[in-house]
Amino acid sequence: MTKSYAILSCNGLDKLAGSLTREIALQIAEQTGSEIICPTFYRVADARYNKLAAEKPLLVIDGCGTRCAGKLAAEKELKIAAKINIAEESKKHNIEIGSGLRLGENELQLCKLLVDNFFKEELSKEASLEKTDQVSMPAEIDYEIYKKDKFVFRLPKEAAFYFTENDCWVYVVGNKARIGVTDFVQQSLSDIMFFTPPDIGSEIEQFGEAGNIESGKAVFEIICPVSGVITAVNEDLLDYPEYINENPYEKGWIAELQLTDFEGDKELLMQFDEYIEIMKRKVDEFHV
Amino acid sequence: MSETTFMGVPREKINWAPVIDYDKCNYCMECVKFCPHQVYEVRENDEKRLIIKNPNNCVVFCRACGKTCGPDALSFPNKSETTKYIKEIRKEMESSD
Repeated sequence: MTKSYAILSCNGLDKLAGSLTREIALQIAEQTGSEIICPTFYRVADARYNKLAAEKPLLVIDGCGTRCAGKLAAEKELKIAAKINIAEESKKHNIEIGSGLRLGENELQLCKLLVDNFFKEELSKEASLEKTDQVSMPAEIDYEIYKKDKFVFRLPKEAAFYFTENDCWVYVVGNKARIGVTDFVQQSLSDIMFFTPPDIGSEIEQFGEAGNIESGKAVFEIICPVSGVITAVNEDLLDYPEYINENPYEKGWIAELQLTDFEGDKELLMQFDEYIEIMKRKVDEFHV
Repeated sequence: MSETTFMGVPREKINWAPVIDYDKCNYCMECVKFCPHQVYEVRENDEKRLIIKNPNNCVVFCRACGKTCGPDALSFPNKSETTKYIKEIRKEMESSD
Protein backbone atom coordinates (compact mmCIF):
# COMPACT_ATOMS: atom_id res chain seq x y z
CA MET A 1 0.00 0.00 0.00
CA THR A 2 1.41 3.33 -1.02
CA LYS A 3 1.67 5.93 1.71
CA SER A 4 -0.95 8.56 2.13
CA TYR A 5 -0.15 12.18 1.28
CA ALA A 6 -1.42 15.70 1.73
CA ILE A 7 -1.89 16.71 -1.91
CA LEU A 8 -1.48 20.32 -2.96
CA SER A 9 -2.34 20.80 -6.64
CA CYS A 10 -2.43 24.18 -8.37
CA ASN A 11 -5.98 23.65 -9.72
CA GLY A 12 -5.39 26.45 -12.29
CA LEU A 13 -8.87 27.03 -13.68
CA ASP A 14 -7.92 28.96 -16.82
CA LYS A 15 -5.54 26.31 -18.16
CA LEU A 16 -6.19 22.71 -19.05
CA ALA A 17 -2.98 21.67 -17.28
CA GLY A 18 -4.49 23.13 -14.10
CA SER A 19 -7.62 20.99 -14.42
CA LEU A 20 -5.38 18.02 -15.05
CA THR A 21 -3.60 18.59 -11.71
CA ARG A 22 -6.96 18.28 -9.97
CA GLU A 23 -7.86 15.08 -11.81
CA ILE A 24 -4.50 13.52 -10.90
CA ALA A 25 -4.88 14.65 -7.28
CA LEU A 26 -8.33 13.01 -7.16
CA GLN A 27 -7.14 9.72 -8.60
CA ILE A 28 -4.12 9.49 -6.28
CA ALA A 29 -6.25 10.48 -3.28
CA GLU A 30 -8.88 7.85 -4.10
CA GLN A 31 -6.29 5.12 -4.35
CA THR A 32 -4.19 6.04 -1.30
CA GLY A 33 -6.53 7.67 1.16
CA SER A 34 -4.60 10.90 0.73
CA GLU A 35 -6.25 14.23 1.49
CA ILE A 36 -6.49 17.19 -0.86
CA ILE A 37 -5.60 20.76 0.07
CA CYS A 38 -7.48 23.50 -1.80
CA PRO A 39 -4.82 26.10 -2.68
CA THR A 40 -7.27 28.99 -2.72
CA PHE A 41 -8.70 28.18 0.69
CA TYR A 42 -5.24 27.41 2.07
CA ARG A 43 -4.10 30.90 1.14
CA VAL A 44 -6.95 32.66 2.92
CA ALA A 45 -7.46 30.32 5.89
CA ASP A 46 -4.48 28.10 6.50
CA ALA A 47 -5.69 26.92 9.92
CA ARG A 48 -7.92 24.50 8.00
CA TYR A 49 -4.89 22.60 6.65
CA ASN A 50 -1.99 23.24 9.03
CA LYS A 51 -2.46 19.99 10.94
CA LEU A 52 -2.79 17.93 7.77
CA ALA A 53 0.26 19.59 6.20
CA ALA A 54 2.31 18.94 9.33
CA GLU A 55 1.31 15.30 9.68
CA LYS A 56 1.42 13.92 6.16
CA PRO A 57 4.13 14.00 3.50
CA LEU A 58 3.32 16.61 0.87
CA LEU A 59 2.74 15.84 -2.80
CA VAL A 60 2.80 19.00 -4.94
CA ILE A 61 1.21 18.95 -8.42
CA ASP A 62 1.84 21.95 -10.64
CA GLY A 63 0.33 22.51 -14.07
CA CYS A 64 3.00 24.74 -15.54
CA GLY A 65 6.30 26.51 -14.95
CA THR A 66 4.69 29.24 -12.87
CA ARG A 67 4.61 26.60 -10.09
CA CYS A 68 1.79 28.19 -8.08
CA ALA A 69 1.44 25.13 -5.82
CA GLY A 70 5.20 24.79 -5.28
CA LYS A 71 5.49 28.48 -4.44
CA LEU A 72 2.56 28.24 -2.03
CA ALA A 73 4.31 25.32 -0.30
CA ALA A 74 7.47 27.47 -0.02
CA GLU A 75 5.46 30.37 1.36
CA LYS A 76 3.99 28.08 4.04
CA GLU A 77 7.45 26.59 4.71
CA LEU A 78 6.31 23.06 3.90
CA LYS A 79 8.65 20.26 3.00
CA ILE A 80 7.85 18.71 -0.38
CA ALA A 81 8.05 14.91 -0.41
CA ALA A 82 7.03 14.32 -4.03
CA LYS A 83 6.27 16.49 -7.01
CA ILE A 84 4.63 16.31 -10.44
CA ASN A 85 4.82 19.06 -13.06
CA ILE A 86 2.32 18.55 -15.89
CA ALA A 87 4.05 20.79 -18.47
CA GLU A 88 7.36 18.98 -17.97
CA GLU A 89 5.71 15.56 -18.11
CA SER A 90 3.73 16.46 -21.20
CA LYS A 91 6.99 17.36 -22.97
CA LYS A 92 8.81 14.31 -21.66
CA HIS A 93 6.12 11.91 -22.89
CA ASN A 94 5.35 13.91 -26.00
CA ILE A 95 1.62 14.12 -25.22
CA GLU A 96 0.31 17.54 -26.12
CA ILE A 97 -2.18 19.29 -23.86
CA GLY A 98 -5.02 21.01 -25.74
CA SER A 99 -5.86 24.70 -25.67
CA GLY A 100 -9.47 24.32 -24.43
CA LEU A 101 -10.50 23.96 -20.82
CA ARG A 102 -12.10 20.52 -20.72
CA LEU A 103 -10.16 17.30 -20.36
CA GLY A 104 -10.06 15.37 -23.62
CA GLU A 105 -8.58 12.09 -24.79
CA ASN A 106 -4.94 13.27 -24.73
CA GLU A 107 -5.23 14.75 -21.26
CA LEU A 108 -6.87 11.65 -19.82
CA GLN A 109 -4.17 9.51 -21.41
CA LEU A 110 -1.48 11.70 -19.80
CA CYS A 111 -3.38 11.56 -16.51
CA LYS A 112 -3.43 7.77 -16.51
CA LEU A 113 0.25 7.60 -17.42
CA LEU A 114 1.29 10.02 -14.67
CA VAL A 115 -0.81 8.30 -12.01
CA ASP A 116 0.64 4.89 -13.04
CA ASN A 117 4.17 6.31 -13.01
CA PHE A 118 3.61 7.86 -9.61
CA PHE A 119 2.73 4.48 -8.12
CA LYS A 120 5.63 2.77 -9.89
CA GLU A 121 8.06 5.31 -8.46
CA GLU A 122 6.56 4.89 -5.02
CA LEU A 123 7.19 1.15 -5.20
CA SER A 124 10.77 1.59 -6.35
CA LYS A 125 11.36 4.08 -3.52
CA GLU A 126 10.15 1.49 -1.07
CA ALA A 127 12.50 -1.16 -2.43
CA SER A 128 15.79 -0.89 -0.61
CA LEU A 129 18.22 1.02 -2.74
CA GLU A 130 21.80 -0.05 -2.87
CA LYS A 131 24.27 2.75 -2.43
CA THR A 132 26.47 2.77 -5.49
CA ASP A 133 28.43 5.96 -5.01
CA GLN A 134 32.08 5.24 -5.49
CA VAL A 135 34.04 8.44 -5.57
CA SER A 136 35.86 8.77 -2.29
CA MET A 137 36.21 12.31 -1.12
CA PRO A 138 38.86 13.64 1.27
CA ALA A 139 37.80 13.32 4.91
CA GLU A 140 38.39 17.00 5.43
CA ILE A 141 38.19 19.60 2.73
CA ASP A 142 40.25 22.76 2.95
CA TYR A 143 38.15 25.80 2.05
CA GLU A 144 38.86 29.38 1.11
CA ILE A 145 36.18 31.55 2.68
CA TYR A 146 34.82 34.75 1.21
CA LYS A 147 32.11 36.75 2.96
CA LYS A 148 29.60 39.38 2.08
CA ASP A 149 27.34 40.69 4.85
CA LYS A 150 25.92 37.62 6.60
CA PHE A 151 26.59 35.36 3.61
CA VAL A 152 29.53 32.97 3.62
CA PHE A 153 30.89 31.54 0.38
CA ARG A 154 33.25 28.57 0.64
CA LEU A 155 35.41 27.20 -2.13
CA PRO A 156 37.43 23.98 -1.89
CA LYS A 157 41.13 24.40 -2.61
CA GLU A 158 41.94 20.77 -3.50
CA ALA A 159 43.40 20.36 -6.99
CA ALA A 160 40.94 17.57 -7.88
CA PHE A 161 38.08 20.11 -7.82
CA TYR A 162 37.28 21.86 -11.09
CA PHE A 163 34.66 24.59 -11.60
CA THR A 164 32.54 26.03 -14.38
CA GLU A 165 31.59 29.60 -15.03
CA ASN A 166 28.02 28.43 -14.27
CA ASP A 167 29.06 27.82 -10.65
CA CYS A 168 29.03 24.03 -10.58
CA TRP A 169 31.92 21.82 -9.45
CA VAL A 170 33.34 18.44 -10.36
CA TYR A 171 35.73 16.34 -8.28
CA VAL A 172 37.67 13.93 -10.43
CA VAL A 173 39.23 10.62 -9.41
CA GLY A 174 40.60 8.67 -12.39
CA ASN A 175 37.74 8.17 -14.84
CA LYS A 176 35.06 8.79 -12.22
CA ALA A 177 33.73 12.06 -10.92
CA ARG A 178 31.33 13.57 -8.41
CA ILE A 179 29.46 16.78 -9.26
CA GLY A 180 27.60 19.47 -7.36
CA VAL A 181 26.84 23.16 -7.14
CA THR A 182 28.90 25.83 -5.38
CA ASP A 183 28.02 27.96 -2.41
CA PHE A 184 27.27 30.76 -4.84
CA VAL A 185 24.34 28.76 -6.27
CA GLN A 186 22.88 27.69 -2.94
CA GLN A 187 23.16 31.20 -1.46
CA SER A 188 21.50 32.68 -4.55
CA LEU A 189 18.62 30.20 -4.40
CA SER A 190 18.27 30.34 -0.58
CA ASP A 191 16.31 27.46 1.01
CA ILE A 192 16.31 24.52 -1.37
CA MET A 193 13.05 22.59 -1.15
CA PHE A 194 13.26 19.97 -3.82
CA PHE A 195 15.82 17.96 -5.78
CA THR A 196 15.01 16.29 -9.10
CA PRO A 197 17.86 13.86 -9.76
CA PRO A 198 19.22 12.96 -13.19
CA ASP A 199 18.39 9.41 -14.35
CA ILE A 200 20.97 6.78 -13.47
CA GLY A 201 22.44 5.38 -16.69
CA SER A 202 21.66 8.50 -18.69
CA GLU A 203 24.43 9.96 -20.82
CA ILE A 204 24.99 13.68 -20.37
CA GLU A 205 27.07 16.02 -22.48
CA GLN A 206 29.26 18.70 -20.92
CA PHE A 207 26.94 21.58 -19.88
CA GLY A 208 23.90 19.32 -20.30
CA GLU A 209 21.19 19.09 -17.64
CA ALA A 210 22.00 16.93 -14.61
CA GLY A 211 18.72 17.34 -12.73
CA ASN A 212 17.24 20.39 -11.03
CA ILE A 213 17.13 21.99 -7.63
CA GLU A 214 14.28 24.18 -6.61
CA SER A 215 13.70 26.88 -4.01
CA GLY A 216 10.80 29.26 -3.47
CA LYS A 217 12.72 31.67 -5.71
CA ALA A 218 13.59 29.57 -8.74
CA VAL A 219 14.29 26.26 -10.40
CA PHE A 220 18.02 25.88 -11.05
CA GLU A 221 19.09 23.51 -13.79
CA ILE A 222 22.24 21.72 -12.68
CA ILE A 223 24.63 22.33 -15.54
CA CYS A 224 26.87 19.27 -15.73
CA PRO A 225 30.54 20.31 -15.75
CA VAL A 226 31.67 17.12 -17.52
CA SER A 227 30.42 14.63 -20.08
CA GLY A 228 29.69 11.10 -18.94
CA VAL A 229 27.18 8.52 -17.78
CA ILE A 230 25.37 8.98 -14.47
CA THR A 231 26.31 6.14 -12.14
CA ALA A 232 24.86 7.37 -8.83
CA VAL A 233 22.78 10.17 -7.38
CA ASN A 234 22.75 11.51 -3.85
CA GLU A 235 19.56 9.87 -2.64
CA ASP A 236 19.78 11.62 0.73
CA LEU A 237 18.81 14.81 -1.10
CA LEU A 238 15.40 13.33 -1.98
CA ASP A 239 14.49 13.55 1.71
CA TYR A 240 16.88 16.31 2.77
CA PRO A 241 17.43 18.78 -0.08
CA GLU A 242 18.54 21.25 2.58
CA TYR A 243 21.87 19.39 2.71
CA ILE A 244 22.76 21.45 -0.38
CA ASN A 245 22.38 24.62 1.70
CA GLU A 246 24.34 23.11 4.56
CA ASN A 247 27.31 22.04 2.47
CA PRO A 248 27.04 21.62 -1.32
CA TYR A 249 30.57 20.14 -1.56
CA GLU A 250 30.14 17.37 0.99
CA LYS A 251 26.75 15.98 2.04
CA GLY A 252 24.99 18.12 -0.60
CA TRP A 253 26.73 16.52 -3.60
CA ILE A 254 24.46 15.85 -6.59
CA ALA A 255 25.58 12.87 -8.67
CA GLU A 256 28.45 10.71 -9.85
CA LEU A 257 29.50 9.96 -13.40
CA GLN A 258 31.70 7.67 -15.40
CA LEU A 259 33.65 10.19 -17.47
CA THR A 260 33.70 9.91 -21.25
CA ASP A 261 35.95 12.79 -22.39
CA PHE A 262 37.54 14.54 -19.45
CA GLU A 263 40.55 15.70 -21.46
CA GLY A 264 38.20 17.50 -23.85
CA ASP A 265 35.96 18.79 -21.04
CA LYS A 266 38.93 20.19 -19.11
CA GLU A 267 39.38 22.84 -21.76
CA LEU A 268 36.26 24.60 -20.45
CA LEU A 269 36.84 24.00 -16.73
CA MET A 270 38.70 26.11 -14.20
CA GLN A 271 40.70 25.26 -11.12
CA PHE A 272 40.58 27.05 -7.81
CA ASP A 273 42.93 29.95 -8.65
CA GLU A 274 40.96 31.01 -11.70
CA TYR A 275 37.43 30.37 -10.43
CA ILE A 276 37.92 32.07 -7.05
CA GLU A 277 38.39 35.39 -8.85
CA ILE A 278 35.15 34.89 -10.79
CA MET A 279 33.32 33.85 -7.63
CA LYS A 280 34.55 36.90 -5.72
CA ARG A 281 33.41 39.20 -8.51
CA LYS A 282 29.98 37.55 -8.56
CA VAL A 283 29.72 37.73 -4.78
CA ASP A 284 30.59 41.43 -4.83
CA GLU A 285 27.67 41.99 -7.20
CA PHE A 286 25.46 39.57 -5.26
CA HIS A 287 22.16 40.75 -3.91
CA VAL A 288 19.52 38.54 -2.34
CA MET B 1 26.93 44.49 -14.40
CA SER B 2 27.12 41.59 -16.80
CA GLU B 3 30.09 39.54 -17.84
CA THR B 4 31.91 40.61 -20.99
CA THR B 5 33.51 37.22 -21.61
CA PHE B 6 32.47 33.60 -21.11
CA MET B 7 35.31 31.10 -20.73
CA GLY B 8 37.61 33.73 -22.19
CA VAL B 9 35.48 34.24 -25.31
CA PRO B 10 33.99 37.70 -25.93
CA ARG B 11 30.33 37.37 -24.94
CA GLU B 12 29.01 38.99 -28.11
CA LYS B 13 30.51 36.16 -30.17
CA ILE B 14 28.35 33.56 -28.43
CA ASN B 15 24.76 33.21 -29.56
CA TRP B 16 22.97 32.41 -26.30
CA ALA B 17 19.73 34.11 -25.26
CA PRO B 18 16.05 33.19 -24.98
CA VAL B 19 13.79 33.41 -28.02
CA ILE B 20 10.17 34.44 -27.33
CA ASP B 21 7.39 32.59 -29.15
CA TYR B 22 4.88 35.41 -29.43
CA ASP B 23 2.08 32.98 -30.35
CA LYS B 24 2.44 31.41 -26.91
CA CYS B 25 3.54 34.33 -24.67
CA ASN B 26 0.72 35.60 -22.41
CA TYR B 27 2.77 38.55 -21.07
CA CYS B 28 2.64 37.34 -17.48
CA MET B 29 6.18 38.80 -17.15
CA GLU B 30 7.37 36.07 -14.77
CA CYS B 31 10.59 35.84 -16.81
CA VAL B 32 11.21 39.59 -16.46
CA LYS B 33 10.64 39.42 -12.71
CA PHE B 34 13.00 36.49 -12.46
CA CYS B 35 15.98 37.55 -14.61
CA PRO B 36 18.45 39.68 -12.63
CA HIS B 37 20.49 40.53 -15.75
CA GLN B 38 18.07 42.86 -17.58
CA VAL B 39 17.91 40.56 -20.59
CA TYR B 40 14.27 41.51 -21.14
CA GLU B 41 12.52 44.84 -21.61
CA VAL B 42 8.81 45.52 -21.16
CA ARG B 43 7.27 47.88 -23.74
CA GLU B 44 3.72 48.50 -22.57
CA ASN B 45 2.69 50.48 -25.64
CA ASP B 46 4.05 48.17 -28.32
CA GLU B 47 2.27 45.24 -29.90
CA LYS B 48 5.14 43.02 -28.67
CA ARG B 49 5.02 44.05 -25.05
CA LEU B 50 8.13 42.07 -24.17
CA ILE B 51 11.41 41.97 -26.06
CA ILE B 52 14.93 40.58 -25.65
CA LYS B 53 16.71 43.88 -25.09
CA ASN B 54 20.15 42.71 -23.99
CA PRO B 55 20.83 39.18 -25.35
CA ASN B 56 24.50 39.38 -24.37
CA ASN B 57 23.59 39.88 -20.72
CA CYS B 58 22.11 36.37 -20.71
CA VAL B 59 24.31 33.89 -18.81
CA VAL B 60 25.56 31.30 -21.29
CA PHE B 61 23.87 27.91 -20.67
CA CYS B 62 21.36 29.39 -18.18
CA ARG B 63 17.73 28.54 -19.02
CA ALA B 64 16.24 29.43 -15.67
CA CYS B 65 13.77 32.05 -16.96
CA GLY B 66 12.39 29.36 -19.31
CA LYS B 67 11.45 27.31 -16.26
CA THR B 68 9.31 30.14 -14.90
CA CYS B 69 7.30 30.33 -18.12
CA GLY B 70 3.76 28.95 -17.74
CA PRO B 71 2.90 28.82 -21.46
CA ASP B 72 6.37 27.48 -22.39
CA ALA B 73 7.03 30.36 -24.77
CA LEU B 74 10.81 30.57 -24.29
CA SER B 75 13.38 28.52 -26.16
CA PHE B 76 17.18 28.49 -26.18
CA PRO B 77 19.96 27.53 -28.60
CA ASN B 78 21.32 23.98 -28.66
CA LYS B 79 23.82 23.50 -25.82
CA SER B 80 26.19 21.05 -27.49
CA GLU B 81 26.47 23.22 -30.62
CA THR B 82 27.19 26.22 -28.40
CA THR B 83 29.90 24.28 -26.51
CA LYS B 84 31.49 23.21 -29.80
CA TYR B 85 31.41 26.78 -31.05
CA ILE B 86 33.03 28.16 -27.86
CA LYS B 87 35.85 25.61 -28.19
CA GLU B 88 36.38 26.58 -31.84
CA ILE B 89 36.57 30.28 -31.04
CA ARG B 90 39.04 29.60 -28.22
CA LYS B 91 41.25 27.68 -30.64
CA GLU B 92 41.10 30.53 -33.16
CA MET B 93 41.97 33.02 -30.42
CA GLU B 94 44.92 30.88 -29.26
CA SER B 95 46.32 30.51 -32.78
CA SER B 96 46.07 34.24 -33.45
CA ASP B 97 47.91 35.12 -30.20
